Amino acid sequence: MDNNNYTCEIINQKMWIKQNGEIWCYDILDLANEGIRRKKSVGSSADKILSLMPGKITKIFVKDGDLVKEGQTLVVMEAMKMEYTLKSSSAATVEKVFVNLNQQVSLSELLVQLNLIK
Amino acid sequence: MNNVVIKKEIKTVAIANRGEVAVRIIKACEELGLTTVLLHSEADINSRAYRMADRTVCIGKSPTAESYLNIQSNIQGAIAMGADAIHPGFGFLSENADFAQACFDAGLIFIGPSAESIRLLGDKISCKALALKAGLPLVPGYQGADQTVERLLIEVEKIGLPVIVKAAAGGGGRGMKLITDLSSARDLIESAQRESLSAFGSDKIFLEKYLNKAKHIEFQIFGDCTGQVQHLFDRECSVQRRHQKIIEEATSPSLTDDLRRQMGAAAVAIGQIANYKSAGTVEFLLQDGQFYLLEVNTRLQVEHPVTEEVIGVDLVKMQLLTAMNKFIFTNQDIRIPRGHSIECRVYAENSYQGGVPSMGILGRVEWPEGPRRRFEFGFESGDTITSFYDPMIAKVIVWDETRPRAIEKMIHVLNQSVVFGVHTNIPYLIEILSHPEFISGVMTTQFIETYFPEALKSKHNEALRLENSKKIYKEFIQKKSNSSKSNFDQSNAAVPLSPWQSYWRNV
Repeated sequence: MDNNNYTCEIINQKMWIKQNGEIWCYDILDLANEGIRRKKSVGSSADKILSLMPGKITKIFVKDGDLVKEGQTLVVMEAMKMEYTLKSSSAATVEKVFVNLNQQVSLSELLVQLNLIK
Repeated sequence: MNNVVIKKEIKTVAIANRGEVAVRIIKACEELGLTTVLLHSEADINSRAYRMADRTVCIGKSPTAESYLNIQSNIQGAIAMGADAIHPGFGFLSENADFAQACFDAGLIFIGPSAESIRLLGDKISCKALALKAGLPLVPGYQGADQTVERLLIEVEKIGLPVIVKAAAGGGGRGMKLITDLSSARDLIESAQRESLSAFGSDKIFLEKYLNKAKHIEFQIFGDCTGQVQHLFDRECSVQRRHQKIIEEATSPSLTDDLRRQMGAAAVAIGQIANYKSAGTVEFLLQDGQFYLLEVNTRLQVEHPVTEEVIGVDLVKMQLLTAMNKFIFTNQDIRIPRGHSIECRVYAENSYQGGVPSMGILGRVEWPEGPRRRFEFGFESGDTITSFYDPMIAKVIVWDETRPRAIEKMIHVLNQSVVFGVHTNIPYLIEILSHPEFISGVMTTQFIETYFPEALKSKHNEALRLENSKKIYKEFIQKKSNSSKSNFDQSNAAVPLSPWQSYWRNV
């Protein structure tokens, strides 16, 4: 696809794209961080929670050593006036939280390291 | 009854509906200088009609039974907000004779036919009796009072398979079942009775011979305030999925002048017998040059715009004026259809997943304006499409001089449209419009089942698309973070922190 003429928008953590008359969308998790989903596709879940965008950490719900359930919210970040909720995709213990409240982070920065419970 | 016409004054019209039809009615009211009151549910405060109406009143919770289908809530809301009349739109209470009667009893003008006409024509069984009286051809079937499953099974055998089961009080495909073998007949009849009871409050059903290569052709009829009934020509709606229309056009590409004359006369005849007032539709099935009455819809129809485009009328204004006793057909009203008009219903659903509903907040929505293009929509960027209601989010209507040009134009317009936030059936619509059978105009009501029985197959390469999307994403956030440094307020492509708290538009 060499046609660079596209229009796009992010709505609720999904990026919607229209190009060449077609519209599609992806979860921005699939677009932002190389590797995470690939791992998941071979059977294991993500143990690294990375930032989806350059932005600011606005809420932290866990601390080192916490036990988290699948789907539990770990961190909320804000970027470009949008809010993103980062959740654990499986049960895990929190190995380390690398960020502080109101900290600025860049794209794909490691925010939380989890130890997945098999 | 004499025909002395006394003008009735209407200053304020309540709209007992939602979505694009509520918008359509509000616009017609505005043009006639009438004040509008939207009777809405809790969910619909995020909708275009809510923002457009002069007054609004919440009549109940989001489930339809607690709001749009609740007769007393609608009437109380209308009265409380000072309305003199109620327009029911289509669907919901529009064909409910009790509602029309309750409006009358409460001193409100019901914009539509009388409760008596609705009762006569709306109940499919009494409608068929009326059709017999008017000499209209009927599809062989059973519409008797004996509604026991045993009797119905005997009738199924008598009519001969395939047989279709329909809700007597229904419409829009709910409660309809197709019996193709006798072993499943009992299950299907019982299931139709249950569906009918839950959807329309009555488990009365009837049986009909199923025509397997019929075209769906309908005539727009209209009764003025003096009792004259005329027809405004035909529409074809053969492209249906599970009895739900998807694409409609005016006029039908299949009618000869002779058939058009005969069917038009039949449509007017049944309207006259029922003392029909306001807008209605007489639906026919056409197979092998024979036409049969299907049903009469005693309301404005979803697809009314295609008639408006080829005839050059405003049916909603005609309805409003008729309700005020101000609309009378004259001898100058010789109407001849011109050119061709097509309507596509845009549903919030995923074409690549067999049409599963798609819910969510609408992002960017763009309908490409142009000559003789009409976009009827009830929701804009920032509005939420919920699972409470029909998934139709918009109608796209085009007109052009010939049918082939109208098809081309529709494909172009759909290709240029943008809807982000929910998936739509636009890819599906484009495939249908490009199909040789649709283009040739010979399609029947079997068209979708024959050619589009499954979900659309996506033609793109997934790996390439993902790669491409990642590039776009990187470019997007790069651009965004640069621009937010220089101008923090530039975020027109972004959903704000809480879309439920603040309504937003592209400014």
